Amino acid sequence: MLDPRIFKFPGAKRALGLLCILTFIQAIAIIGQGRALSIALTKVWEHKQLQSVVIIILVFISAYVLRQLLGVLKEYVLAPFADKTTGMLQSELTKQYANLGPSAISQLGTGKSVTLAVEGIDQVHDYFTLVLVKLFDMMIIPWIILAYVFTIDWKQAIFLFFIYPVIVLFMIILGYAAQAKADREYETFNRLSNHFVDSLRGLTTLKQVGLSKKYADNIYDVSEDHRKATISTLKIAILSTFALDFFTTLSIAIVALFLGLGLMNGTMPLLPALTILVLAPEYFEPIRNFANDYHATLNGKNAFADIMTVLDTKTVADSDIYHREQQRWQADDTLEINNLNYQYPNANNNTLQDINVSFKGHQRVAIVGTSGSGKSTLLNLLGGFLIGKGNIKINHQTLPHLQQKDWQSQLQVLPQKPYIFHDTLRNNLAFYAKNKTDEALIHAIQVVGLNDWYASLEDGLDTIIGEGAVQASGGQTQRIGLARILLDQERRVLLLDEPTAHLDIETEIKLKETMLPLFDGRLVIFATHRLHWLAQMDLILVMRDGKIVEQGTLSELNDKQGYFVALQSAMRGSKK
Amino acid sequence: MNKLITLIKKDTWVFPYLKSYKKLLVLILFLGFMTIFCGAALMFTSGFLISRSAQIPENILMVYVPIVLTRAFGIGRPSFRYVERLVSHDWVLRIVSKFRKRLYQLVEVGTKSVYAKSQTGEVLGVLDNDLFKIENFYLRTLFPTAIGLFVYVLITIGIGVFDWGFALAVFLMLGMITILTPIITIVVNGARDYKQQQLEGQLYTDLTDSVMGLQDWILSGRTSELFERQQNDFNAINKIKAKQNHFNWWRDMFGAVIIGATAIILLIFATNHFGSDSFGVNWIAAFVLAIFPVQDALTAISTGIGEWPRYKNSIQRLNQMDDKAQTELQENVTQEKVAITHPEIKFNQVNFGYNDATVLENLNLTIKDGQKLAILGQSGAGKTTFLKLLLGDEQPNKGTVTINNYDVKTLQEERSSIIAVLDQQPYLFASSVANNLRLGNLDATNEELWQALQQVSLADLVKSLPEGLDTPMTEMGNRFSGGEKQRFALARVLLQNTPIVILDEPTVALDPITELNVLNTIFEVLADRTIIWVTHHLTGIELVDQLIFIEDKKISMQGTPQQLMVTELRFKKLLELDHGDLTDK
Repeated sequence: MLDPRIFKFPGAKRALGLLCILTFIQAIAIIGQGRALSIALTKVWEHKQLQSVVIIILVFISAYVLRQLLGVLKEYVLAPFADKTTGMLQSELTKQYANLGPSAISQLGTGKSVTLAVEGIDQVHDYFTLVLVKLFDMMIIPWIILAYVFTIDWKQAIFLFFIYPVIVLFMIILGYAAQAKADREYETFNRLSNHFVDSLRGLTTLKQVGLSKKYADNIYDVSEDHRKATISTLKIAILSTFALDFFTTLSIAIVALFLGLGLMNGTMPLLPALTILVLAPEYFEPIRNFANDYHATLNGKNAFADIMTVLDTKTVADSDIYHREQQRWQADDTLEINNLNYQYPNANNNTLQDINVSFKGHQRVAIVGTSGSGKSTLLNLLGGFLIGKGNIKINHQTLPHLQQKDWQSQLQVLPQKPYIFHDTLRNNLAFYAKNKTDEALIHAIQVVGLNDWYASLEDGLDTIIGEGAVQASGGQTQRIGLARILLDQERRVLLLDEPTAHLDIETEIKLKETMLPLFDGRLVIFATHRLHWLAQMDLILVMRDGKIVEQGTLSELNDKQGYFVALQSAMRGSKK
Repeated sequence: MNKLITLIKKDTWVFPYLKSYKKLLVLILFLGFMTIFCGAALMFTSGFLISRSAQIPENILMVYVPIVLTRAFGIGRPSFRYVERLVSHDWVLRIVSKFRKRLYQLVEVGTKSVYAKSQTGEVLGVLDNDLFKIENFYLRTLFPTAIGLFVYVLITIGIGVFDWGFALAVFLMLGMITILTPIITIVVNGARDYKQQQLEGQLYTDLTDSVMGLQDWILSGRTSELFERQQNDFNAINKIKAKQNHFNWWRDMFGAVIIGATAIILLIFATNHFGSDSFGVNWIAAFVLAIFPVQDALTAISTGIGEWPRYKNSIQRLNQMDDKAQTELQENVTQEKVAITHPEIKFNQVNFGYNDATVLENLNLTIKDGQKLAILGQSGAGKTTFLKLLLGDEQPNKGTVTINNYDVKTLQEERSSIIAVLDQQPYLFASSVANNLRLGNLDATNEELWQALQQVSLADLVKSLPEGLDTPMTEMGNRFSGGEKQRFALARVLLQNTPIVILDEPTVALDPITELNVLNTIFEVLADRTIIWVTHHLTGIELVDQLIFIEDKKISMQGTPQQLMVTELRFKKLLELDHGDLTDK
């Protein structure tokens, strides 16, 4: 129930210690409240005047208010601790995301990363406040009440004591039964509950096959199946709550009954009997509260564990070994890769095997190969987003990997789909080069051929673009990516990952005209499917199944009549 | 407040459904009430029972009725609660089934047969989530409020039977938690909730930017800026949440204190009323103890109402869906019942535009039976519009689109037997392989399915699957690669067996070699059909016998690929580039 890692956070021991003390005082207040009320009731039952019970009622009121006040106080004790800790976890988490880098995050799932930092943290916050309070209530209050009842009537106390584990046991058994049933039906259940969104997403297809109108009834039927399945699972799932409710109320009824019998025998006066009757619900209240929030407990615990797992993931060390001598990548700088291997965490085979290649100065290098041949993985390793095993040298300085701050600060990347931030066009363009004048930005817009689009924007450079705002088409997105590159003349190593894969041929040709001048004075490493780029390249790396099988200039490779030639004709579709 | 009233008045999604399954609804309210009643009655009878017993009656039969009642209420409370939860979920899920059908129909009206890029899954996810919110609105706000208020009124009447003065006192006292605090909650938290939702939206956008654009943040060396921004977002939200919490804590404490005060009023009332005679005193404990179990039912009103701002947006969004769908409803056109096997498609002086912007102008084109036509053009040139006109999803502003001289708008009911579509994102449902294929032809036999699979070279793959044709496609068809998905979709098209097949950039997401393989298969198996193929580059262009370029609202080039190679220098150049002009460097 309690994750021991909680105690490691600063302020945890103090907060939990205070919580303990407050809960203890609260338990005393509950007893005082019950006792005072019983005394008052007994007195009026004995035909005493209302005036004679004024003082004891005041005691009741004080105890009652104190009890409620302590409830609020407990929240005030835990809240600062929970706020501080979750705040810390939240910022640690974003920092960790940055340390792990884009490849690791995409393996975790971008959606999950975002949810974990928002909803996950919320659940942990609930766990630290709500659940801890209930947990401590359950660990302290019933036992103090029980001890007090024991001093009044030990037989009742023993009954209450033994019924407690029985209730817990029933809950556990029923909980398991519900879990088993839920597990059995999980797949059907999942399928049924996803069916609706699945159908909405496939609507275009349904329209095409002319079934979309008829399908509405199917939606209803499946939803009804889902309802029946839900209810049948629910019948068992809420049985544990029922059992808890049933046993506690029944226990109270039994206590009342025994007390009644004791009273009739004359073995017990009214006051102790009434006290026990008033305290019995208080005895069961904490476990009921806890059980009602059991899901919150589980969610909070799991979210907490998930977050800790991400935080405990090892990040790369030695990212500050490489120090470049000049500001820019120079014409005589070299990057050498020897015997580089890479294996994805869950894969059986190496995705990259024995990569040997060297890049020099402002070379233009193309990487070609079929899908899955390892082009993107190689680019990710060169960008320092993945860490492989092998020898890497920049200008004869040996490096453990390329996740080097000074290396990455020379890089520019143009992916298949550059990410457009939900921000102004200005901030999107000047992402790598802040403090550019508007003239410089508009000049860049003209150079990359975005004039017409720019003219159509209402707020000019201040227009908000990106998801949920003004959208850019595929070609426009690439042009924004190019403008980013153009605006930052300090960076001189350019990695391109099939930047034109989604564009139509004419747009690509136009874009090519803009791109080629950018290649001058830069080391360019370009993964592509499109053959026409190869004529402008100094070196071509041909990849197959994670290996570089051929490398050389275009004419060298053509003369070789090897895999490259076969690949070319397969891509071109010419008959062999 | 006025906004709230107009929202409720105009609402067609939440409140009108309270009229359906009325009996169940009454049952829910009854069961909910009984749960609370039994809880209170249990303490009431227990209080009476032990008070009476303490007077040591001569015979156990004197307290027999309270003994039985104590047991009955003890069992009754959890049982009623159990059934109430089941019935209320059942009712809500019944409504959800209706909701889903309705929402589906609304979305269906606005959906075209041509894949739209803007229609993302997220939008649909939001709608589904909205339904979930309404589910909660019924369960967490509407039912508890109704039951709580009913209990409130009943308590007042119950005491009013004995003494209207005390009834008024209790009415006013409890009114503070049933009426006053819910209103204060809405007023105080409403504005905060709105602010919180805005901040949460901001947080999500920023966080998505951080995660999706992580590579750019790292490379630009601006991560510290990112952390700072994120921290500011978190702090702003946490601050507002803390305020909400503080309010809620004090509100709940206030509720508890009111119950305590009511208990004292009841003590005075019961003593005044019953304290004088020796039997009557037994009611005092009964009345006082009975009020405490009612607390939860009454404070649930504030909690439920306090959640209203969370549901409001969802309810508004769904209501707006109605308005949108209404404007999109198409006119009714008398439909022709014809079987078309040898189609001839004619675009006759077609003009089309959205609002002021003309997309196509004076377009004339005849596509003969069995022709293989490729349509080229830059994105935004009007290729998709051309398809929409052909499918009858859009009507030309001027001119006609006909198949065998029937206007396509009169062929809508027959359309799926005339035209099949293979697009860039064919959707594979999270159902079995066989079900997905049968969407093309509901009556297809297993042999026909296998035959289609054989034609698209998937038979071996499907045979190797653990359950063959009954293997579930995992959600979105993630089990299969891009090329395989296209082949499945192609098999579906084959089973649909239409004389015309539209190919809408079906290979855009594939690498060139897979692309060529898929295209070769497509043209091979559809050899006897009319094919209209929209493409954005020239891979496989030799497979067609007619080619048009759409440019500047018109057809700018037309002819066979072989002709155009000779007559159009531009086409020749594009072709060379696309095929990799590697010889003359």
